[in-house]
Amino acid sequence: MDEPDASRDSRKHQRNGPAADTRMHGVFTDADTGRLTYALSLSDSCLTVQRINPPSSPPSSSSEHLDLRDCLGSRAHRGEREDQGAYLCAYFYPHRRRWMSSSPVRQRDERRFRLVLNTEDNNDDDEEDVNLREAERWARAIRNSTARSMGNTHGVLFSEVRRPCGVMVLVNPQSGRGQAMALYNGHVQRMLTEADIPHTLVITERPNHARDLVRNADLTQWDALVILSGDGLLFEVASPVCGEDLLTSCGFQLCKGQTSALDLISIHLSSGVRLFSFLSLAWGFVADVDIESEQFRQIGDLRFLLGTLVRLASLRVYQGKLAFLPAENQPETHSGEIKLLDHLLVPLDQPVPQDWTLVEEREFVLVLAMFQSHLSEDLMAAPDARSDDGTMHLFYVTAGISRAALLRLFRAMQSGTHLDLGCPHLVYRRARALRLEPLSPAGIMTVDGERVEYGPVQAQVHRGVARLISS
Amino acid sequence: MGGTASKLPKELLSEYQELTFLTKQEILLAHKRFSELQGRENGPYGSRVSMEKILTLPELKSNPFRKRICHVFSTCDLGDGSLSFEDFLDLLSAFSDSATLEIKSHYAFRIFDFDDDGTLDARDLEKLVNCLTGETDDTRLTAEEMRQLLNNILEESDIDKDGTVNLSEFQHVISRSPDFVSSFKIVL
Repeated sequence: MDEPDASRDSRKHQRNGPAADTRMHGVFTDADTGRLTYALSLSDSCLTVQRINPPSSPPSSSSEHLDLRDCLGSRAHRGEREDQGAYLCAYFYPHRRRWMSSSPVRQRDERRFRLVLNTEDNNDDDEEDVNLREAERWARAIRNSTARSMGNTHGVLFSEVRRPCGVMVLVNPQSGRGQAMALYNGHVQRMLTEADIPHTLVITERPNHARDLVRNADLTQWDALVILSGDGLLFEVASPVCGEDLLTSCGFQLCKGQTSALDLISIHLSSGVRLFSFLSLAWGFVADVDIESEQFRQIGDLRFLLGTLVRLASLRVYQGKLAFLPAENQPETHSGEIKLLDHLLVPLDQPVPQDWTLVEEREFVLVLAMFQSHLSEDLMAAPDARSDDGTMHLFYVTAGISRAALLRLFRAMQSGTHLDLGCPHLVYRRARALRLEPLSPAGIMTVDGERVEYGPVQAQVHRGVARLISS
Repeated sequence: MGGTASKLPKELLSEYQELTFLTKQEILLAHKRFSELQGRENGPYGSRVSMEKILTLPELKSNPFRKRICHVFSTCDLGDGSLSFEDFLDLLSAFSDSATLEIKSHYAFRIFDFDDDGTLDARDLEKLVNCLTGETDDTRLTAEEMRQLLNNILEESDIDKDGTVNLSEFQHVISRSPDFVSSFKIVL
């Protein structure tokens, strides 16, 4: 077992450091197995990690230099129970070019090391503390060097990202299975603290409280919004202001579970307001339906309640103009360097671009654009949809459909078989963007089940911009 | 019959404007259409038009609740659903653009109360569903589905748990439907 007194030596070396800008040296092992040994050197610009092989192997010639400009934080902590060692963690987000992607994006790279200093002190408690103190010293030094390296950056964008990340965490203790608070107390709070991210916890008191907050808040003061639902799902929503890929840049530790990308849809209302949505945009009959009946989630299969029947009884027709950009015409939804730029849309007072399709019909019972597969727990409106397919699933039902046929459609939607019914009034198209101009004077338009101002609206999908974490 | 249709006296016109939600134009149009329905029976304003004739109106013809609508607005003691001109105006007023949520939900309730007993019980609701699901076998609900649906509706709407939905419980449901007022409409 090769564990010389290198640590002692390195501490001696530190004072007469070989290079002017090398601040610290140390020897660590990898955090997982303890079998790999690394020599760490910290300078003003980078953390160098060099693997030290045992004498029997050929000497390792590779050193890895981790640029501190990509570092978001570092911390130290104790080991579990009997483990006397301390742990050093550093979080890097270097730019990596993803296969097939045109521009490099930041990807999280967490480095964890274990530290055990050889001491001659036989007192167990002290030894644990000594290790921890040393690890903490490293963590502090990395953070300080990182902060100092900010002054050396070249790009303007990057310095915008590096201001302290403020995060609003919205927790609804009532929703779903009530796991939101446990999730917060367990994982989320810890990881936010690890990454040194100042955050504010808001406990929502009523349904749609979170949505109201998001809608009405000044989102420019927050770098990210985290919404914890009762089902253990965690949504990160990009703030609409910053141009950089905020979510990865904000240093969120995506601990445990899997992460998956989520499409985010940018919606422009005629008043100039821009909203983000990841569920649906609806006009007409569906918008009238109270999708959000959270308290009825436990109730049986058939969700057609009295309200639905009444609306079906007084079925009306809505006049409007609909146009969309078919998915086939637009393979890529990336807008290049600046994420969340709505490059597919032109101002509402101009005609839609040439490659868009204009729907001939002007009388509708409903228009529904789905971005996920489910409209609510038991309405699977778009069975083909994937959460990051970069596609809007556009459904519309033209006037002339009978009430019975419409009811049949909704019932089939519960099993996702509505498209198999062969209903001539139901049209389904895959799109990247759409524009809807209602001509009927009064009506309802909803985004994610929430009512928005009634008027011309257009939307574009941004593929995989948000992150979904499941625990 | 004569060459000209009978005209509506000015005082009556003003009175109707006061008593209903209808505008002057709407009342005059209603009068014209009602006179056409009366055809050769060019009697006094109190004379009624039979339900069959009323149901020939295109605005009512395809409404699944057309018969109930006639019954609710008919003031005929015979209970035959025939409408006088004033009954007809009442109908149009309740279904007009300007009628309030209270008025509309009140009449909606009465229309769905098939047995006219003042509450919506399971049988009323069942009739309501059948009106909407149509006549054919593939659209009608099975007995089990119907039972479940009725349970769900009562679960949701029957606040005092007396097994029926009364007017205020119904209005509570309606109030959650933001577009009800503009949907629940019959305009000539």
